[in-house]
This record gives sequence, structure tokens and C-alpha cells, in this order.
Amino acid sequence: MRFELFIAIRYLRAKRRQAVVGVITAISVIGVAAGVASLIIALAITNGMRRDLQERLVGSTAHVELMRVAGDGIRDWRPLLARLRKTPHVTAAAPGLYGQVLISRGARSGGGLIKGVIPGDERTVGDLLQGVSVGSADGLEPVVSETIQRSKHEAAGAVTARKGRSAAEEQQVSELGDLDVRQDPAVQAEADAQAARVLAAVHPVPPIVIGKDLAETLGASVGDTLLVTSPQGDLTPMGLVPKYQRFRLEGIFKSGFYQYDSSYAFLRLADAQRLFNEPDLISVISFKVDDLYHADRVGKVLEEAAGKGFQTTNWMEQNRELFRALKLEQVVTFIVLALIVCVAALNILIALTMMVMEKTRDIAVLMSFGVTAAQVRRVFLFQGLLISVIGTVLGTIVGYGLSWAGGHYRFPLDAAVYSIDYLPFAPKVLDAVIVAAVSLGVSLVATLYPSGSAAKVLPAEALRYE
Amino acid sequence: MERNLSDGSNAFGLEPFPRMGERAVVLRAEGLTKRYAAVARSNSTKGAGASVPAELELFSELDLTVHAGEMVAIVGESGAGKSSLLHLLAALDRPSGGEVWYGEERLSGMSERQASEFRNRRVGYVWQFHYLLPEFTAVENVAMPLLARGMGRKAALEQGCLWLERVGLAGREEHRSGELSGGEQQRVSLARALVTEPEVLLADEPTGDLDGRTAEAVFGLIQKLHLNHGLTSVLVTHNLEFAERCDRMLRLREGKLIDTRAS
Ligand SMILES: Nc1ncnc2c1ncn2[C@@H]1O[C@H](COP(=O)(O)OP(=O)(O)OP(=O)(O)O)[C@@H](O)[C@H]1O
Ligand SMILES: [Mg+2]
Repeated sequence: MRFELFIAIRYLRAKRRQAVVGVITAISVIGVAAGVASLIIALAITNGMRRDLQERLVGSTAHVELMRVAGDGIRDWRPLLARLRKTPHVTAAAPGLYGQVLISRGARSGGGLIKGVIPGDERTVGDLLQGVSVGSADGLEPVVSETIQRSKHEAAGAVTARKGRSAAEEQQVSELGDLDVRQDPAVQAEADAQAARVLAAVHPVPPIVIGKDLAETLGASVGDTLLVTSPQGDLTPMGLVPKYQRFRLEGIFKSGFYQYDSSYAFLRLADAQRLFNEPDLISVISFKVDDLYHADRVGKVLEEAAGKGFQTTNWMEQNRELFRALKLEQVVTFIVLALIVCVAALNILIALTMMVMEKTRDIAVLMSFGVTAAQVRRVFLFQGLLISVIGTVLGTIVGYGLSWAGGHYRFPLDAAVYSIDYLPFAPKVLDAVIVAAVSLGVSLVATLYPSGSAAKVLPAEALRYE
Repeated sequence: MERNLSDGSNAFGLEPFPRMGERAVVLRAEGLTKRYAAVARSNSTKGAGASVPAELELFSELDLTVHAGEMVAIVGESGAGKSSLLHLLAALDRPSGGEVWYGEERLSGMSERQASEFRNRRVGYVWQFHYLLPEFTAVENVAMPLLARGMGRKAALEQGCLWLERVGLAGREEHRSGELSGGEQQRVSLARALVTEPEVLLADEPTGDLDGRTAEAVFGLIQKLHLNHGLTSVLVTHNLEFAERCDRMLRLREGKLIDTRAS
């Protein structure tokens, strides 16, 4: 081995009798380096994109959602919520009531998915409400809420004044807030009901927060009144009449996901229940878990804990298509860029073939004093591998360096087009290992033919025509 | 009688040289035949009609016996097949028929590996042209056969230096072949052939490329090393004067080896 390496290294370093062999050798090294570097950079970007997307997606949505198999809604949800919150690995839980509606403003209208929420809880399981960019989501706070909320109201008299609350009403609100509602679900239900009544009196037009794209569809801006029409109408002597109600647009959120921004609308839970004629009923309980890759497992546990008739979905299931598409994209990127490595390997093949031709006589001389065919084969195998190793190492360094620099000096992107304002780089060690292995493997294949033909040199023949 | 001489006894010339007939036979060729297809690799493309492919028979049923310590010269016209014969003796090529024996060992019985091993240990080969490897220094060239068999670099280079000294090139170790004259290059290649301490030296027109004086010096060196190291040598040469100075002179003509002095 040492002998073969000795010869191979010397052959690589030596000045060529045919300059073109040296040039092709240099091109091979550069080619391998370029292929490896671009593979590493491209994989770092696709990883970064995926990680970014996943972070935002997972941030926006719950990790696990629990619902009834029959879709009849969860009654008596407070004890269940309190119990499931204590499940191991669950970090947060929030009730929600979903319903399909038509939202319209004047002549314009769009379909929407209402989610009735308790903002304090909802914020612990999803980022959508934090993403309110115009107006605010404060209006969604239930009248009876935590002490913090109350003190906020007290402190910000100006805010409440703007919302048109009188001092008397404020008094009422604070009284209600004094109840420690978290302790006893029954008390809380009672309190909520009461709060709703108070609210209806205080706030004749309840608040709504919708997504940016939906707002654009409707041409709505904060302060506008929207008409929400629910198909679950009232049964009247004249048949089923769709129920509709006015809401005041308090805030517009933007998550960067069209799916949410174009259809989601948040109401207070109590308002949603009234709209859908479902007093004190929710449709889902959303959970956050401590390890998102174990969401499915926690989901199973929650299903069992909830009892018969319940099922869960998790973020992986809900976004399976998306992640499959991303994976496919990464594979395609890899294959396309691996072609660069193949071209580089072709260079190695050419360089080595020419080298073998140039060295035929020397090979014969080596064989004449006892160098075996296997040794000759290895000399050229090592040469090819040396080219490939040098190129791969160079490429890895350059690729990693550029990925690092790209992550460090944020490469700006047009946020309107890409939904992120910089190019994310997330180089992974495993990727580099795979890329290096592919590069070396492909080069090894390219080395087989020339080294094989070197081993086939017949000394007597090769030295005859000199 | 056919005692296989060990490397050691040969290299140090400890073997007493008795009269010719009693000396051990080192090298023996029996019924050696070499044919070439006239047009190389064309047989397969020809139809069945061409039943007799044109062939070039260099020699057939050729016999040769070389005893320990002998220095044999082979002469003959260009194209007679001298080089081809030497290739067969060095296991660089396979005969079409017949057998080459080194002591009790048969070349045709050897695998590729064994043939390599044989070339590395038992024979040293010198060409008309030096064929030094241009990427390596003189001493590396000389040490190459030792490195190839896996000897440590230091030990091999030491041997290389020693042999460069023996061929009169002390101090030229680090020079590349391009920095040496023709005669010096041939000395280096002689050192490379002998660094493995082989029992047999095969040389194919070792002075053919050199001018008169240089040729004389190189031939003198070969003679000296032959004696000092108890070698058995077979030399192909066009120089009849050199051939005369060998123990025997054989002429290869029309496929036969004729001992010129016996006639
Ligand atoms: N592979 C081959 N195929 C066909 N013919 C060959 C082959 N090798 C050698 N010959 C022929 O065999 C003949 C003998 O060649 P060889 O080299 O042995 O001659 P030589 O006696 O060494 O000549 P010189 O003194 O010129 O070196 C030549 O006519 C040559 O053309
Ligand atoms: Mg010849």
C-alpha cells in the first residue's frame, strides 16, 4: 500500500510530459470541489428552508388536536381539558370551536373558518394571534379573564375609553374578574355565561380577527363591520334560516401561510358558541407537546386518556403532503447537483486514462522488476482517489464556509415573494458525509476502467516499440 | 546436478567455480518456441475460410543451458528474435511452446503473482534504453524493486545508495534521469537490476545506445559486477568484441542457437 501511494502521489505532483494531462487533473479536482460545494450549499439551503417552514408551521398550529370521531363536539369540556393538561409531555392545551362561515362586507364575501378561542389559552398552542400586524387581538379577551387582563384594563383607561366602556361597566368587569375561575370549571362556566351577557350589553358588536389575505379579499380594514353568516341557522316556521351576525374587525394577522391567512377568523369562544347555537360546546382541544417529533405518540396517549369516541390528528399528519413535497424537492436537487460530481468523475476518468497511456512504458518497467498487476491497479486507483479526496475536502470546506457565511451575513430575499426575508442556511453534518461518500464512490467507479487497463499492460509488448 | 543456488551463496560468490560440466545449471530452456500471429489480434475477425492464419515463428524447439557463474553472449541479426528470447527467460512473456527452468522451478507453472515475485527476486533485467522513471531520483529508481516488495523506505534507499556507489555514481543520488548522461543512466538501470541481489542478470543490448568509450565502460562494469557478485549473465549484444569477451557466444539465426566457438 505504501509503495502504491508513494508512486501515486509522485505521479500526481510531477510535471507532466503532456501538459494537457496536468490540466485535466486540475480540472478534475476543481470539478469535484465545485460539485461537492454546490451540493452542500444547496442541501444547506433546502434544509434551512424546510426548517424555517417547519418552525413557522409548527408554531402556527397545534401539535396535536383532539376531537370527537362523530364530530358532535365536546360537551362538558372543562374537566376534560383540566385533566388532559396534566398528561405527560403536554405543555399546553386550549379549547377551540371550529365552524365554516361566509364572511361578507358589503358586496364582497369570502368563505372563512371560524375558530372560537380563549386568547390566553390559544396563544400557548399557536402563534397566529401573535401575528396580528394591524389592529390588535386584545378585543378577543373574554371579559372575565385573568387578573393581569383586568389590571391592564384598569391601567389603560384610555384604551377602554376608546372601546366605549363606561366606568360602571368597568366596575362590573372587575368584580367578575375577582372570581378565581381557574380553580373550578363549573364556576368558570357560570362566570363565562354571565360575562357573555354582560358583554352583549357592553359590546353590542363583538370583535373578530381575520387573516391578511381574507381581509384583502373582503377589502376590510380594522374598525370595519363584517357580516358573518353561519349555515347552522335557526329553525323558524318558514324553515331553516341562516343565522347571521355582525362583528367588528379588531385585528388582522399574518402568518405567511396562505392556508391560514386566507380563511382563518378568530372569535371569542362565547361569541362563536352563540353564533353556532352551541352553548358551551367546543369542537377541539389543541395541544402543544414538548417534543414535536413525538406528537403522534402523545396523541395516542391523549386519545386513550380522553376515552371512547375521541380521535387525534397531529401536525405531521396534517402537513404530510407538504413535507413529502419538500423531501422530493431535496432529492431532486441532490440528483441534479450530483450530476456535477458525475461530470467531475468523467474528468477523472479522462485524466487517468491519458495518464495510463502516457505511463504505459513506465508501467511495463515497473512490472519487469516485479511490481504486480494488482499493485499497478492500485497506483492508478489511488491517483483517482487522491484527486477525488482533494476535491471533496476542498469542496466541503468551501461549501461549509459559504453556508456559514450565508447564514452569518444574511443573504436578503424579497419577503413578499419568498415569505422569508433572508436565505436560511442549515448545513447538516450528515449531508456532508453523504455528499462526500457519493463523491468518493462516483470517483471510485470512474477510476475502475483506467486502473484496470493499467493492470492489463503486457510488459513485453509495451516495451517493444520504443 | 541441478542444484538450486540460494541467493546468498551467489551474491557473495562463495561457490567455488568448478569446471564447466560440473557446475550447477542455473538456467535452462527446453524446446522453446515463440510464434506471433502476423497480424496481431485479427484471427477472430477472419472467417472459417482462412484456415491457416499467417504466423511468424521466431524460433522453435530452441534449447539453452546456462551454468552458474557463466556469462553468455547472444548475437544475431536484427529481428532474429533475441529480445523475444530474453523476454521469455525473464518471464516477461509466455512462450508458445517449451519450457524455461530456473533450477527446479518452471516459469510456465507460475501464476501471475509468482511470476512477479520471480522477476522481483531471481532476475535483474537491463534494456538497451535505461527506462528510468523520470519522476523519481536516481536512488529512488534504484531502490524501486525493494520498495515494491514492501521493504521499508529507509532500508531500501540505503541499499540504493550502496548500489549507486557500486556503479560509480556516488553523490548523484538525488539527480533525476534527465540530469544524467546516457552512460550514467545505464549505470543507474544496472544498479536497479542488481539491487535485489538476483542470481541471473539478463541484459538486452545494454550498451547499444552508448558511444564507444561509454559502452566500453558500462560493459566493463557489467563484467566486474558479474564476477564480484557471482552472477550468471545472459547478454544480448551487437558488439562482437564484447561478445568475444564473454564465456560463450551464441548466435541466434533462423530459429536456432549456434555456439560460435564450437563450430
Ligand atoms: N507482438 C509481436 N507481434 C508480431 N510480431 C512481433 C511481435 N513482437 C516481435 N515481433 C517480431 O518478431 C521479430 C523479432 O523481434 P525481436 O525484437 O525479438 O528481434 P531482435 O532480435 O531483438 O532485434 P533487434 O536486434 O533489432 O533488437 C521481429 O521481426 C518483430 O517484428
Ligand atoms: Mg532487440
